Amino acid sequence: MDTTERPLRPLNVLRRRQLAVLAWVYFVFIGLATVILGTFAIAFAASLKDNPLENPFRFIFPQITPSVWITAADLGRQGAADPWWGGFAPGGELVFSLTYAAPAGVDLVTPEVEVPRRKPGSGLAAAITTTFASDYALVELTGTSDRFFVNADMETGQETRWLARTFDYKISYEAQDDKGVRVERLPFTALAPRTQTLLEATLPVTRMERRGRVASWNNIAPGALGLILNSYRRVINETVDLSTGDRLIFKWMGNSFQIAVGRVVLMIVLSSLAGYALARLRFRGVRLVFVLVIFSMTVPVQVTFISNYLVVRDLGLLNSNWSVIMVMIASVHVLLMKQYFESFPREIEEAAMVGGANRFQIFLHIVLPNAKPALIINAIMAFQGAWNDFFWPFVLVTNPPSALAMPVGLLSLRESYGGGQGDWSLVLAGAFISIVPVLIMFVLFQNYIVNNQVSEGIK
Amino acid sequence: MKKAGINHDTLTGWLFLAPFLVSLSVFFLWAIMRTAWFSLTDYDLFRTPNFIGLENYARLVSDDLFLTALRNSISFATIVTAIQTVLALLLAVLVNSAARAKGLVRTVFYFPSIMSSAAMTLIFLWLFQRQGLMTSIAGNVANLRWIILSFFALVAVVQVVQVTLARRKYAEVSLFDPFFLILSAGVGAAGAVFIRINGWLPVYEEQFLISWLNTKEVFLFMPRTLWSVALMNIFTTVPTLMLLFLAGLQSIPSSLYDAAKMDGATSIQSFFSVTLPSLTPVTFAVVTLGLIGTLQMFDQVAILGAAAPLESRITLAYYTYYNTFPPGGSPNIGMASAAALTLGLLTLVIVFLQRQFGIKERIG
Amino acid sequence: MLKSIQGRLLLASAFALGAASLAQAQTVRVSGFGGSDPAVVNGLLNDVLADEIAALGIEVEYAPTDGDYSQFILNALSADTAPDLFYTDIFWSRSIFTPGQAAPVDNPELAAALLPSLVDAFTYEGQLYSVAKDFNTLAVHFDKDAFDDAGVDYLDENDTWDSFQEKLASVQGSLEDVYGVCVVPDYARFAAFALATGWKPFNDEGKTVLDDDFKRAFSFYTGLIDAGAGVLAADIGEGWTGGCLGSGKAAVAMEGAWIIGYLKDAAPSMEYGTTLIPSDPETGNRGNLIFTVGWTVNANSDVKDAAAKLVDLLTSEKAQQWVLEQGLALPSRSALADNAFLMGDSKEQIANRMVFRGASEGHVEPYFFGDLGGAWLEPVNSALNAVLLGESDVETALSEAQAQYDALQAN
Repeated sequence: MDTTERPLRPLNVLRRRQLAVLAWVYFVFIGLATVILGTFAIAFAASLKDNPLENPFRFIFPQITPSVWITAADLGRQGAADPWWGGFAPGGELVFSLTYAAPAGVDLVTPEVEVPRRKPGSGLAAAITTTFASDYALVELTGTSDRFFVNADMETGQETRWLARTFDYKISYEAQDDKGVRVERLPFTALAPRTQTLLEATLPVTRMERRGRVASWNNIAPGALGLILNSYRRVINETVDLSTGDRLIFKWMGNSFQIAVGRVVLMIVLSSLAGYALARLRFRGVRLVFVLVIFSMTVPVQVTFISNYLVVRDLGLLNSNWSVIMVMIASVHVLLMKQYFESFPREIEEAAMVGGANRFQIFLHIVLPNAKPALIINAIMAFQGAWNDFFWPFVLVTNPPSALAMPVGLLSLRESYGGGQGDWSLVLAGAFISIVPVLIMFVLFQNYIVNNQVSEGIK
Repeated sequence: MKKAGINHDTLTGWLFLAPFLVSLSVFFLWAIMRTAWFSLTDYDLFRTPNFIGLENYARLVSDDLFLTALRNSISFATIVTAIQTVLALLLAVLVNSAARAKGLVRTVFYFPSIMSSAAMTLIFLWLFQRQGLMTSIAGNVANLRWIILSFFALVAVVQVVQVTLARRKYAEVSLFDPFFLILSAGVGAAGAVFIRINGWLPVYEEQFLISWLNTKEVFLFMPRTLWSVALMNIFTTVPTLMLLFLAGLQSIPSSLYDAAKMDGATSIQSFFSVTLPSLTPVTFAVVTLGLIGTLQMFDQVAILGAAAPLESRITLAYYTYYNTFPPGGSPNIGMASAAALTLGLLTLVIVFLQRQFGIKERIG
Repeated sequence: MLKSIQGRLLLASAFALGAASLAQAQTVRVSGFGGSDPAVVNGLLNDVLADEIAALGIEVEYAPTDGDYSQFILNALSADTAPDLFYTDIFWSRSIFTPGQAAPVDNPELAAALLPSLVDAFTYEGQLYSVAKDFNTLAVHFDKDAFDDAGVDYLDENDTWDSFQEKLASVQGSLEDVYGVCVVPDYARFAAFALATGWKPFNDEGKTVLDDDFKRAFSFYTGLIDAGAGVLAADIGEGWTGGCLGSGKAAVAMEGAWIIGYLKDAAPSMEYGTTLIPSDPETGNRGNLIFTVGWTVNANSDVKDAAAKLVDLLTSEKAQQWVLEQGLALPSRSALADNAFLMGDSKEQIANRMVFRGASEGHVEPYFFGDLGGAWLEPVNSALNAVLLGESDVETALSEAQAQYDALQAN
């Protein structure tokens, strides 16, 4: 080869080569990580927006703008003495200003402002909202101030004099016979002719209605978190069970948790016993069972779903968490436990056997305590699998809404908010809330998961 | 004595296996047998089933929706498995020389795989809205295509110049030298911005609207809807699979590579003669699991729901469900069972075929 | 011998007593859709009708279902865990009626009080199985501000397809940021045009034939976009025509009374008007669909009588008057047709009035496709989708759809 004929490489060139390879490795790592995390980061940012489908996509919006957080906190403090979650409570008094502008010479009209009687969102929220800020709010114009400025036309560059007039409003809480309640939101609208434009307002306007005539705010006393996490608060508070008032998201989490724990317990019993038998005991039929285990890992759940559905139905267990727990086939775990037990040294067991213990005693007192690492890994896998399982809960649990498991609950969120009504922020918020428990588990047991790559790859 | 031991083991063995076997018999063996029986009847969940022979299978073969589902399932499984395996392997080889991926990096790579398919599909459903973020990214790329091309051209030119100059001093400078590449990328970016500002190359302002999901277009044997789902699947699985391959790569003894080098193999040759054969067990696992997983694809189809036409998203797994609980119609358990069995058989055949003719598990 | 007979008698009377005491507090389990519907039913059960229900000695357990309601009901019926009283959408009513899961309605007075078309809709083989609780039809809702700003006359009852398209095109032409109407690939909207031509989803032999009349309507509807009078809803990020109107992206929507609640939420300040669906210039007729949902008593329920009484209450004049005033659904009783509330002048009242009138103007068909259920919709909807997305032309799409209908209806 010609390399041999070249001059000897200086040491630093070799070093440079190694560095170059390393640099490439990190390029790839960082690139991949950016793609993965970037997707989630953008989706998360979108879940904070009022309208995640807005086009063009803004990367800067009120919910992630610190100066707006401060304003929101101030308004929350004024409205309900709560800078975090805001609201409108007895004693609340807000100062809110609007600045309208028009070319000099055009009449600047005082806008018609109002705290409208408005139900938040569509769907269930309409049913559960019983208090309205409009019943308590008194709006007064406290003053106006004018200033002139020069406005350059974007296209022609022609400069004109404009008049900007700021209207200051005081919105105070008027409790009738001292029985005021705290209202979560304080909506606000301002109607003005299209000849004048809304230049700025204390809080950025939520949307313009009536083709620019009406400026509309969903909540002018949001508080900092009430502004940032509005869609999270809404998805938690607005999906409730009407008869019990329970928050469905937590119900769904509870169900998924029960299913996951139930499956983990069932899996541990089935797979440790069966895995031990397959690994240690030599008996007729063991080969057949092993083939069956492998076979059952290959057959899709759809093949067994009709019969299993009927079994559950005939037992009267449809719509219960038990149904989802019991249809699990633990074959993968049996196999993994078998592999673990095979690597377990025989000598300890044999010593116990000489001591007169029977197989089950040995299993319970010696083998099982020593199998903790394998059991934990299997438990994590089973938990994660059960938490994320969609098919069985989808088929077996359909009613009432509070009985659903988290993934199916997410689907019902999509049906309620992701379709015609287009409240995608609620759907995304629900999706992110659903990840939290698995994420916590992942962080806690990271080493177990990561060290067990082969089994992890099975899903 | 020994014989008695065996007998004893037999009893204990079956006792130990009993709980698992009960679950397996009721929810697996009996279930398969019942599905087979239902596939020969006209069962509708309410009335007693009547035996109708192979009629359901005859109706399956003449049902366009079934044939679409079959084609979708097969193409989805093969395409996704192929792409995700190759991509994961390539990425693993690329980063192999680093020490094992540790800590934060690994956590990041696992992140997509711990998410539920429901949450993941919802996020992608949002990304793939006709007017959504994916469309705007694609639209920007298309509108700025000349600028982007000029960026790559500039990077290539600057890189070649740098490498040629460097090679005068010492011979072994790779064309892809990363340190030169950083500089080239910087120059390329600055140049592209300069070109954009001066308006030397056209920038289009077309409004792009791309139906990622709601479309009946077919691209390379598979509806575009399923390509979008495939993109999501690959996004979810590749990082994890890459880590699997990485673990496999790092267990290859370096002596093998040294031996290959002694024989004068280039790095590409040693990839084929050393790396690939050593990775066979991992590849076998990845391909088998990938095929089984993708053939069963159901969650994404169900969650897409009305966001895409039925024939663009239906798979065999969903076809089974669709016939069991048809929207606004009576359950057709016979057809559903026949389709389910077809899916089961298809899975077995494909796994068997890949075992026979594809990558084999190394014994021992 | 005698003793044992006595014993049996004793036992029987004990059972009878037990049954009687059970009747004292009968629990009727009720189920319905999710969404905003629970607000209405809850209001009826807990406020409006609370006293009457208590007087009947009935306790109501109400559990609405989000998600796929028809799947839930089918599941529950097959599992015998179904509620005693549940909604049946006319759309999939046959899958409940055919296997005998619905108890017949034996209440001629109630049947006579309902709008005849709604009684027909729920009649299967000569027997009424569900009591329509409300109904909806399509109407045209328009944003008055958009028409004012464009200087175009409002839509009105005299509009034909031609003038409708013309007005929409002028609105879209003179306003930069507003489209005429959102077009959706959905028979549930397109039918308003198809039916106007005199075409019927099933001909006398029960077959679906996409004839020239159908094609004329199909071309008009899918041509609205090219005529500059509309836009595909998905192209502006919306899923339904109401969403386009509510977000101000389109000046017109074709929806039922369900849009009222949505607009209250999404565009509370909007000044909108409502008129009837435009008529076909050739036949001079309008077309429309009737959407209706009925209360069905579970045939296997232990408390059928109590459930039937509850249906009487839930569809009573008092109940329907209240529901109507909530602006959420139209009454199924003909007596409420010229109700004072329907004659009012607020935008919600006008919308309700127009939707109510829609049921008796021109060719009106229920949103119902016999035993085929939702399968009937697939061919027509995918033909609409393919043409609207530009993936197919009218001829090809219709011949494909026709072939699919022929296959569907072959046996």
